[in-house]
Amino acid sequence: MGFYVRPKSLGLNSKPLEPDDNLRTSICCLCNGGCGLKVSLDHEGKVQAVFGDLDNPYNKGKICAKPMEIAQTLYGPYRVEYPMKKVDGKFERITWDEALKLIAQKYNHYIQESGTGSIVGITSKIGGSYSKLAHVIFSKLTGMVNYGTGPICMESEFNVRKEIFGNGSSSGPLSDVVKSKILLIVGNNCAQTKAGQFHWILEAKRQGTKIVVIDTRFTETAQVADRFIQIRPGTDGALGMALLKFIIENDLYDQSFVTEHTNGFEQLAQAVESFSLERAADITGVPSNVIQELARDLASRQPGMLFEGRGIVCVNNAGASIRAFEDLMSILGNVGKEGAGIISHINNYGSAKDLIPKKDVVKSDRKRSAEALYQAMEEGEIKMLFIAGNPCVNWPDSRRMTKAIQGLDFVVSHTLFLDDSAMQADIVLPATHWLEEAGVQASVHRVLQWKDQAAATYAEARSGGDLFRQLAKHMGLETSYFPDSPQKAWELERTHNKSIEGITVERMRKTPGGVHFPCSEDGQEAERLYESGVFPTTSGKVELARANDIAIEYIEVFDSPGNQGVSREKYPYLLSTNKVASHYHTICQYSNWAREMEKQPYVEIHPQTAAELGVIDGEQVRLETVTGSLVLSARITLSVPRGYFSTQPYFGLHSPYGQTPANSLFPVAVDPVGGNFANKNIMCTAKAERGQGQ
Amino acid sequence: MSQLAMLVDGSRCIACKSCSVACMQENGLQSNSWLRVRRRELLTDHLVRYYNPQSCRHCADPICLSVCPVGAIKRGDDGFVIHDVECCIGCQVCVTACSYSGIKIMTNGKVGKCSFCSHLLQQGKEPACVTVCPVDARVFGEREELIREAGLRMTNLASRGISVHLEGTEKELTNVLYLLNNTATQTIGDSKEEVKA
Repeated sequence: MGFYVRPKSLGLNSKPLEPDDNLRTSICCLCNGGCGLKVSLDHEGKVQAVFGDLDNPYNKGKICAKPMEIAQTLYGPYRVEYPMKKVDGKFERITWDEALKLIAQKYNHYIQESGTGSIVGITSKIGGSYSKLAHVIFSKLTGMVNYGTGPICMESEFNVRKEIFGNGSSSGPLSDVVKSKILLIVGNNCAQTKAGQFHWILEAKRQGTKIVVIDTRFTETAQVADRFIQIRPGTDGALGMALLKFIIENDLYDQSFVTEHTNGFEQLAQAVESFSLERAADITGVPSNVIQELARDLASRQPGMLFEGRGIVCVNNAGASIRAFEDLMSILGNVGKEGAGIISHINNYGSAKDLIPKKDVVKSDRKRSAEALYQAMEEGEIKMLFIAGNPCVNWPDSRRMTKAIQGLDFVVSHTLFLDDSAMQADIVLPATHWLEEAGVQASVHRVLQWKDQAAATYAEARSGGDLFRQLAKHMGLETSYFPDSPQKAWELERTHNKSIEGITVERMRKTPGGVHFPCSEDGQEAERLYESGVFPTTSGKVELARANDIAIEYIEVFDSPGNQGVSREKYPYLLSTNKVASHYHTICQYSNWAREMEKQPYVEIHPQTAAELGVIDGEQVRLETVTGSLVLSARITLSVPRGYFSTQPYFGLHSPYGQTPANSLFPVAVDPVGGNFANKNIMCTAKAERGQGQ
Repeated sequence: MSQLAMLVDGSRCIACKSCSVACMQENGLQSNSWLRVRRRELLTDHLVRYYNPQSCRHCADPICLSVCPVGAIKRGDDGFVIHDVECCIGCQVCVTACSYSGIKIMTNGKVGKCSFCSHLLQQGKEPACVTVCPVDARVFGEREELIREAGLRMTNLASRGISVHLEGTEKELTNVLYLLNNTATQTIGDSKEEVKA
């Protein structure tokens, strides 16, 4: 998209912000950290500054750079202002009515011609609770199949945890860390990804909680830990299994908890049988005495908590690692107690039941896995796609995804920005930003917080809540099922979902920091799950083994999907992506400030690997995997191990960065247990790029 | 009233760069933040990495003030060093003179530097970078109080085997005090050198 002119940067002098006594309260909806915000508006109702909310008990006025940056992106040149239709490769302005009519007509046409399965949604950024509920109702009425954030973010974590505990949700609030004696952070750089809430971990450390970080990279989180264990990429499962074996063999586990509350302990003991300290040391590169010390620490320091991150979730052998660590917490009895449990940004409070009478519910005539979606699009089985997200950057093998989308008959993008995916659409619809929509936001403390609309709706933007109701009307569907405001939507959801029945908008408004869920009608909120010792599995107990009776199956990273059968001679290294504090998915790349913090994507390389390749800091490196290649500038650092490369996943071709998405290098490979796409630990090769260009 | 000051604790920095962005937001800067966070890495017997937040330290005897040919830099009674952008001619001599990399070249060709958010102090608030810092690596308060706090933090760090030192209280008196990792001293002098941002 050519040069990006920084709007005011050439202005002569800058002026500090005017004092504003009329700040609006909101909740940040970026990383599910749920930080409280104070928003300053100008006279037109546009956001001019974002601060932390001092009254929010969780972030206490602290925020990371991201919410400040997004405020800067809201009125920039990339924001979509009005509905557009692609005519001869160019976007032309149309009215909302024209757009909705056209979409409705196409939608009905494809349902009749090719069945409900010919229309799918990739909807990772659908909007707040209002839009999500309208989307659910719309999908029920039309049989639309959706691919949300799950496959690219947390599917494996959710599914494995659901198998174990019967609920994929986080079981303890982050705020509990101050009460725990040990916090195990695995593959999670929360100092960068949840910076606004990171003070909880530092406070816990000051109060005596031992912070242990297991990671391949020496992260900012590792830097502040009491113990950092640098592990070979993709071998976390082996470490977890060795810890299990040691703890089981030495009777260091909580025997009464295991007897009373778990199933499958024998299978678990059998599965980890061969993972001696020595074998694990061989696989992971972590000395056996360090593993032993960690096992003893975990056993003696009770209660303890676990905080996993994308480092063990978005990988091709995620299932084994997640199960190993969560089973470990279970047999140690770190469940359902103060200062115990699993911290996660997954906040599943259940779905609303019986929103629509059965007679009006349409089931999709075809179901496909996220992996099968590519082929279904390529082979013309799918005709129409509804996008609320940016799959052309965020989904693996992004070039293939882009091509598959180009080949579809009809593509709609409901979006904030004219991003890589919107560029492929036939109809682009302007979406509201979360500051422009009221709704409920969950947090890493297991609370639901209400936020009112803070900023005026931009141009012709509409929320998903309004869009789906209006589209349903144009399609001739029953619209009385749809709520027509965020408040009514929550009221509808609350009254159809027992686990949030007691959480009214008024109650959330009145309670700084929000209300914990589940919360029944009598108003009793549950700060942590499973305190009663009853688990929502069929047996009512923690399932330590999988349904097939095999507890954990360790797969080596080189034998995992995406790497299986790939030549180690040709692709000797491993490639990963990692997150940084100044960026969040697509949105922050449109901010000048984010761009100043991270001027360009780079690839982290160990000095010895750099020497092998003959590159010095800042030089261009071409990375190649089975799905393609990409040129990035080298950042030489000792924080990554030899033979391992890591870059940032955010950037798109149609953004100020003009960068081929890093996800182009990742094949469409899913974790066989949990179903997550991998965006780490994929085999690659690298060479110095002396010329120019991509 | 005693002197107001700021303590910057490098040992706590997690490089989230909230301070840097908050500085731009508060002061209406589209780019070229007055506050940067530099990353440094050293390989001794093990890897040492730390982050150096970097901005004007508001010296008691500012060299930028002495070298400015037009008197655009002044030191107020409150002890803060203020740059007058209207008066500045953009010769950038101060940028070279400052040994703390406190002065930045802006896109308008002039220079810019931390104002200690004096407009916020007038409203009884603290500087934007302090308010936003999620790990209390930046603390605002009375100078004496901050020196005491720095002492406490030094003792605490020492008990964990981390040795730090306080800058700004002895040879060079500054109003922004820095608690820095001892291995950092070797590189402080040559902070002009562009290290990986």
